[in-house]
Amino acid sequence: MAEKGKMNIERLGGVARLREENEKVVKDCESRIQHWQKVSGDYEALNKRLKTLPDQLSYDIMVPFGPLAFIPGKLVHTNEVTALLGDNWFAKCSAKQAQKVVDHRMKYVKHELEDLSKTMKNFEARVGLAKDLETISSSKGDYVDIREDTGNSDTPVTKGKQRIAHKPNSMPKMDAVLDLKEENEGESGDGGSRNGTLTEEELWARLDELEKLEELQDEQDRLSDNADMNGEDTSSMSSEEEKEGDASPPVNGLKPGWTARPHSKAPPSADRKAGEDDEEEQEEGSCLPTIFFSHTIEPKKVRINTGKNTMLKFSERKEQKEHSKRKKKNGHSHHELHKITTPVDIYRLFVDVKNGEPVPRKSILKSRSRENSVCSDTSESSAADFEERRVIGRSFSHDEATHSDTSDGITEEDSPTAVPLHPASRFEAFSGTVVEKDPMPSAIPHLTIALPALPTIPERKQEEVASDVPPPHQAPKRVSKFKAARLQQV
Amino acid sequence: MAEAIQKKLKAEVEKYAQMQKDVSKSMSARQKLETQLTENNIVKEELDLLDSTNTVYKLIGPVLVKQDLDEAKATVTKRLEYINGEIQRYETVLKDMEKKSEQHREVLSSLQQEFQRAQGLAVGKV
Repeated sequence: MAEKGKMNIERLGGVARLREENEKVVKDCESRIQHWQKVSGDYEALNKRLKTLPDQLSYDIMVPFGPLAFIPGKLVHTNEVTALLGDNWFAKCSAKQAQKVVDHRMKYVKHELEDLSKTMKNFEARVGLAKDLETISSSKGDYVDIREDTGNSDTPVTKGKQRIAHKPNSMPKMDAVLDLKEENEGESGDGGSRNGTLTEEELWARLDELEKLEELQDEQDRLSDNADMNGEDTSSMSSEEEKEGDASPPVNGLKPGWTARPHSKAPPSADRKAGEDDEEEQEEGSCLPTIFFSHTIEPKKVRINTGKNTMLKFSERKEQKEHSKRKKKNGHSHHELHKITTPVDIYRLFVDVKNGEPVPRKSILKSRSRENSVCSDTSESSAADFEERRVIGRSFSHDEATHSDTSDGITEEDSPTAVPLHPASRFEAFSGTVVEKDPMPSAIPHLTIALPALPTIPERKQEEVASDVPPPHQAPKRVSKFKAARLQQV
Repeated sequence: MAEAIQKKLKAEVEKYAQMQKDVSKSMSARQKLETQLTENNIVKEELDLLDSTNTVYKLIGPVLVKQDLDEAKATVTKRLEYINGEIQRYETVLKDMEKKSEQHREVLSSLQQEFQRAQGLAVGKV
């Protein structure tokens, strides 16, 4: 910065000098213009004189006689004029001819005047520019010199790879995204006026990154709104959080959709959210590829959260979740339904009301998410379950769908049993690959029952461990429900 | 060592100053020629405009000498050519001078560097 300041001073000096030089030229031009204007005036007068001279044969005049005297005399041969042609050449000619000569000269003078005025304008413009430069370099004006030091291109790129994405197909993107983010943030850490300093390419990369994240979020929301693919959700959320945590905090306005950072730092507002927050904060602190997850099932009271819980990566989605949670809790969801902020909301609109509660329409897609497909067990599917799952962060399916789904899936049974486990499991460091149950959950709304046989995610394992009893018990049930649902639909 | 360099430096600086003077002289001479050129052009034009009815005079000292129009025209044309030639000559001379001054400048800068180094050494020694 000292160097920068020095350079500024130097630049300032240079710019000042430039301005002075330009002003000199301008003044010179002005003086020349004045001279030529005088000459032009003289010629005008001469013209007049020549016009009137031949009017009379002779004039009575006072002739200058030496430097101090005048003598009366006569001006004769009024039509004969000896004109100086230049370079000591004279020509005797009539007044009219002399006039022609004068006209010629006038032309020349005018030409010179025009040229001079043009140059003066040019230099005036340059002076203005120099003045602006001066103000800029002295940082007095509104303009800011945008600079970007690209010395951070060697930031470790591997950070992204450490993080495991839930969606295999999105992993490379995530990596790239993270890398870019790292670079961005690394670079952005250098100066204040960073917002404008990213190159175009970086901006595009950033846009892509954000886009992908949004897609990811969309999928997540769609898939696990209610039902919690426990581990997945948390892991995904937490991993995402971790990703964000890895990145240095001061990511300025270039992250329009990423409210996570501030949100993640926001005080946890709910228990489960608190748990998540803790997790996240832990993650942030560690910056290790550990993914904490919590299966905490939020107590209902917790569900009433503002949109500002740390889990909220995208506040909108959180709000949606909370809306849906509230819906489930209270049973009035319709007014929430109509608030469409994401495509997910649209899906929620397609809801059948059964048993006084909105039941999401059954999806024909298979998904192993626990959020079950349309299930008749909406009654069983405690809102708590849904909310729990949702709280865990992954919103795979729409609220309604997950509502009904969770009733089917393990999650239902899991949730009560899993509650005690959650606190225990919450703080288990999960390091390793969190493999998505299968690509489907991320891509497809989870309306199908999540089979317990998806133990790839340790979280799930824990859940299953916790709910050992229930799962086997559930499995047959789930199947039946699913079948029933399908039968129903059919 | 430093003193020797200093002397050298001075000598070079003087040479360079001389060169610069020559350059400026040539420049001014050339500018004069340029003005004369324009003037003669005007005269030529005027003479072309004139017809033989009017007499042309040339000012030689305090005397206005009558001249023939054609003669005057010829004289002016010749003068013009002469001026052009002079300008060309001066141009080449200027170029040469510029080159030489550049060389001198380089020599000067290298000498200066040596001098500074020597001074630095001397300071270090001291």
